[in-house]
Amino acid sequence: MAEKTDFEPNIVAFLCNWCSYAGADLAGTSRIHYPPNVRVIRVMCSGRVNPLFVMNALQQGADGVLISGCHPGDCHYMQGNYYARRRFNLMRNFLEYLGVEPERVRMSWVSASEGAKWKEVIEEVVNGVKAVGPMDMFKRRQLNW
Amino acid sequence: MNGKPKIGVYVCHCGTNIAGVVDVEEVVKFASTLPDVVIARNYSYMCSDPGQALITDDIEKLGLNRVVVASCSPRMHEPTFRKTLLSVDLNPYFLEMANIREQCSWVHEDPIAATEKAKRIVEAAVVKARRLEALDVKEVDVEPSCLVIGAGIAGIQAALDIADAGFKVYLVEKNPSVGGHMIQLDKTFPTLDCSACILTPKMVDVANHPNIELMTYSQVEEIGGYIGNFDIKVRKKSRFVDMDKCTGCGDCAEACRMAGRFPNEFDEGIGMRGAIYLPFPQAVPAKYTIDKENCLFLTKGKCGESPKCQEACQAKAINFELEDEIVEFKVGTIIVATGYDVFDARKKPEYAYGVYDNVLTALEFERLVNASGPTGGQIIMLERGKKKKKKEGEEAEPPRVPESITFIQCVGSRDKSVGNEYCSRVCCMYTAKLAHLVKDKLHDCEVTVFYMDVRAFGKGFEEFYDRVRREGVRYIRGNPSEIFKRGDKLVVKAEDTLTSTPLEHETDMVVLSVGLVPRSDNREIIDLLKLSQSSDLFYLEAHPKLRPVDTASDGIFLAGVCQGPKDIPDAVAQAKGAASAAMIPMASGKVKVEAQTSVVNEETCRGCGFCVQVCPYSAIELVEVNRMGWPVKVARVNEALCKGCGACAAACLSGSIQQRSFKDLQLLPQIQALGVK
Amino acid sequence: MVDIEKLREIAREIISRDDVRQLIGYRQGTYGFRARPAFVTDPGEVDKLIFSPACVNNLATYITLEERLPVPRGQEPDLRKVAVMVKGCDSRALVQQMEEKAYERERILVLGIPCTGVVDMDKVEKRFPGVLARGEIVLEGDKFLLTYDGKEEEVAKGELLADKCTRCRYPTPLVYDQLLDEEVARFADDDYADVEALEKRSAEEKWAYWEEKFSRCIRCYSCRNVCPMCYCEDCVLDRLNPQWMRRSVDVSENTAYHIARAYHLAGRCIQCGECQRVCPVDIPLMELNRKFYKDVEELYDYEPGTNAEAPPLLSTFKVDDREDFIM
Repeated sequence: MAEKTDFEPNIVAFLCNWCSYAGADLAGTSRIHYPPNVRVIRVMCSGRVNPLFVMNALQQGADGVLISGCHPGDCHYMQGNYYARRRFNLMRNFLEYLGVEPERVRMSWVSASEGAKWKEVIEEVVNGVKAVGPMDMFKRRQLNW
Repeated sequence: MNGKPKIGVYVCHCGTNIAGVVDVEEVVKFASTLPDVVIARNYSYMCSDPGQALITDDIEKLGLNRVVVASCSPRMHEPTFRKTLLSVDLNPYFLEMANIREQCSWVHEDPIAATEKAKRIVEAAVVKARRLEALDVKEVDVEPSCLVIGAGIAGIQAALDIADAGFKVYLVEKNPSVGGHMIQLDKTFPTLDCSACILTPKMVDVANHPNIELMTYSQVEEIGGYIGNFDIKVRKKSRFVDMDKCTGCGDCAEACRMAGRFPNEFDEGIGMRGAIYLPFPQAVPAKYTIDKENCLFLTKGKCGESPKCQEACQAKAINFELEDEIVEFKVGTIIVATGYDVFDARKKPEYAYGVYDNVLTALEFERLVNASGPTGGQIIMLERGKKKKKKEGEEAEPPRVPESITFIQCVGSRDKSVGNEYCSRVCCMYTAKLAHLVKDKLHDCEVTVFYMDVRAFGKGFEEFYDRVRREGVRYIRGNPSEIFKRGDKLVVKAEDTLTSTPLEHETDMVVLSVGLVPRSDNREIIDLLKLSQSSDLFYLEAHPKLRPVDTASDGIFLAGVCQGPKDIPDAVAQAKGAASAAMIPMASGKVKVEAQTSVVNEETCRGCGFCVQVCPYSAIELVEVNRMGWPVKVARVNEALCKGCGACAAACLSGSIQQRSFKDLQLLPQIQALGVK
Repeated sequence: MVDIEKLREIAREIISRDDVRQLIGYRQGTYGFRARPAFVTDPGEVDKLIFSPACVNNLATYITLEERLPVPRGQEPDLRKVAVMVKGCDSRALVQQMEEKAYERERILVLGIPCTGVVDMDKVEKRFPGVLARGEIVLEGDKFLLTYDGKEEEVAKGELLADKCTRCRYPTPLVYDQLLDEEVARFADDDYADVEALEKRSAEEKWAYWEEKFSRCIRCYSCRNVCPMCYCEDCVLDRLNPQWMRRSVDVSENTAYHIARAYHLAGRCIQCGECQRVCPVDIPLMELNRKFYKDVEELYDYEPGTNAEAPPLLSTFKVDDREDFIM
């Protein structure tokens, strides 16, 4: 493991447009400050997120991945978050089995009104990834040609 | 049409909102080094006319075919900039936004880290923009009709406005009469108009309006479809009274063997009714309803020799065979105006509501002071649940009139202990109004109000509060801790926090100024319409400032207290707003539908049907196609039904079904751009 | 024991039918006592058919693998049935394929073989080096009987039995038109001892274990090609646009490949073990598949390839699915 002290992790987050992305926007509107380690990809629904995106992000240099959707029952598309929940539970367990610490693969429900929760989620994810250090298990080789 | 990408990147300062933290120049410099970026600029307000002109000029002069705007959230200005592109005939889906305000400059303090993050966000937008595709902007026809759920003042007002504009309205009300909570009130603050006097004409109007189909004692059971084409199923519950025959004479109610046995919901249980009843004299429609839970004939199958009501009804309107009726129809838009419940005062056991007869909720008190209420407007001490056993020849005891009445404000509002952090907005003023009414009717009655703060913020509110104090109502700042009985008096234990004096205040009657809470049956509507809730559990509007009557679902609007506590004029104003908003698509007759739908590559689809199974809208089906002479099944998307969630794309193993604008080949480069440190 | 004469008689009858295009079974391999798939289209060929503990291949693979050449103009596609011999495990591939609508039930004729277990050729080679090339093997009761160089050896069944058979829950096919022998009762189950042992190790130890395995992978894709559940016309992992993983053989890309392969089989793998059998570098692929299999069973009470009417695992949900991992 690399030096952990001043390690600033890089976290890729997939947010559903209707709840979690709106919740993250609300955190902004409310000027709630949180660590800058999380970079967001907006999708319309957490159900769109293919669990292989997690693998891809970890391979491409992300130290952690967060998938966030609407609370159960609140999905704008009715069911998307339920599918996501199944897929990511399995993928998270599987990656843990390969040696990817569960701190790196996180999922949350953040609603459009939970700007404050978004901050808490970010802090928890960032601290969790900081604790396990940089992701160097199967990071893609950088090709320079 | 797609062509080789020529990308323009436009970084917004948003005044100092972005530029105050993010080094905009630096982001522009970085953006101009990214592949396919032809021009990168910054401007103080990209959303302003000159800002948009920068973009359109570049599109025309430099031949840009992709645009990245790095500014606020796409949830804010994506529609604005899509229009900008469209104005110079560039497909609006060639826009990608980089959210460097809500999710960067507003949440990070360190300029270096924020600038670094902004660069990554911009890069992710650019790599996606390179792969954006032109999408068709499709339109569907809009049924020129609206479903209004709930016929309180908000629903009534919305229905009347829409109907007056010439559109068909289906107004569905759960209770036997329209009117909602407003018709229960006596006077309205601060002007003291009689609530019924101003509302009943509107109630009659909704019943008689040629464009309104009123369905009372009815519930929406199913809602399908989408804006412009909602399929609605309503259950009209059986009243066991033929609506066409009932004249509203009331002979049946007088005849009912159970007359006066059950608490009348309309009177908040202070008044009684029988098993067949009209909730209140001005009810609309003025038709009687049999309460099937309490009717002897319907519960026991026997009501003496024959049901008394049936005997009494000369119009032969009573028919115990009548069944619920299911009505189906189509509407283009929906307005939700389902209102509220009042806070259940039992959740504050220290106030002993439900223990002592003369601890009332304010809504009960409204019925007590109301001239059409069970006491004819006489304020008297209550003896609840006691059957008056009159002995032969004995005169009924005259009712006792309270000598002192005490109000307690903020019961169930601004109270974390019961989970309601919010202010209910109406209690301060209705308390003042009720205090005034007491003083009006019982000059010598001593009136005291315990309050935390008095919020008299509206038009004429402060003046009214002032007037009530001048009338001799005593305001004590303090939140009572307990109510108990001493002799035949109630004792309110509190602390006057202005003088830090503990006190025990004796009184005859306590009125709890209960707050407004989301309806306990909100879940039904949420499930039907897929509405979101805000943290206070009222329905969530699409934007707290700019789309206060819209919901996240196109074509569905909110009116009245179901969206959050408000007084009558605010509810009416919002209802009028919702009505106008609903009329826009109905008036134009067309509405744009989702363009970011799913699309199948039929060459590689293996017809497993995972996507068909996953789709919440049944928008995908398997069809047989000819693949080089072989019949094979492949998935096909009905684009009118597809809402663009993309769940199918994540379910597909062969990557054959993809969501437009969120394809794997558009998202994977974003992952790469964000992954690289 | 499958009566070979009876098998051939039934096969002859089937292949003589007008509505049957071909029969997929087993025949003697060209190398020692290995068996290989036989594709019979002519009644004259049925005498080649055999069944023995050496018939390890999952023939369900060939139903979906068969290339459909373009039908010449003016001709009709040959839509006659395909008959296939399946063991218990193989039959689950058919069930799963049908769950995924790969074909309809009436498109296939299933000859079910109640299976008492097949042999692991690697174990034979280890125990009797070189013998594979020149001998014969039969299962008698609880012993394998090897005949080679005029010698006869008896080995306890457990010693040469394929690992998948030591965990087999469904020795008798779950779908068949004709059963070639008496039903075989379940004689084994999976206790996941190895999977659980690995689960308990530290993240570093786990990754050290898998890094070594994945670094061996030469990306020959045999595991994918032999898998009866991997039958996309165009494998998403082969594509260049979008490119999910590079083709370079290094531990990063290899890991990505193995994650993607295993995830694509989550809730679909029917435990036939073919991937691991064909792996030329001995990656324990079933330890990946069985991790998913175990979780799927524990979390969602779902067993792939046992009910063709069940909705696919990841295309459905229960409102009360576990979510204790969600923030």
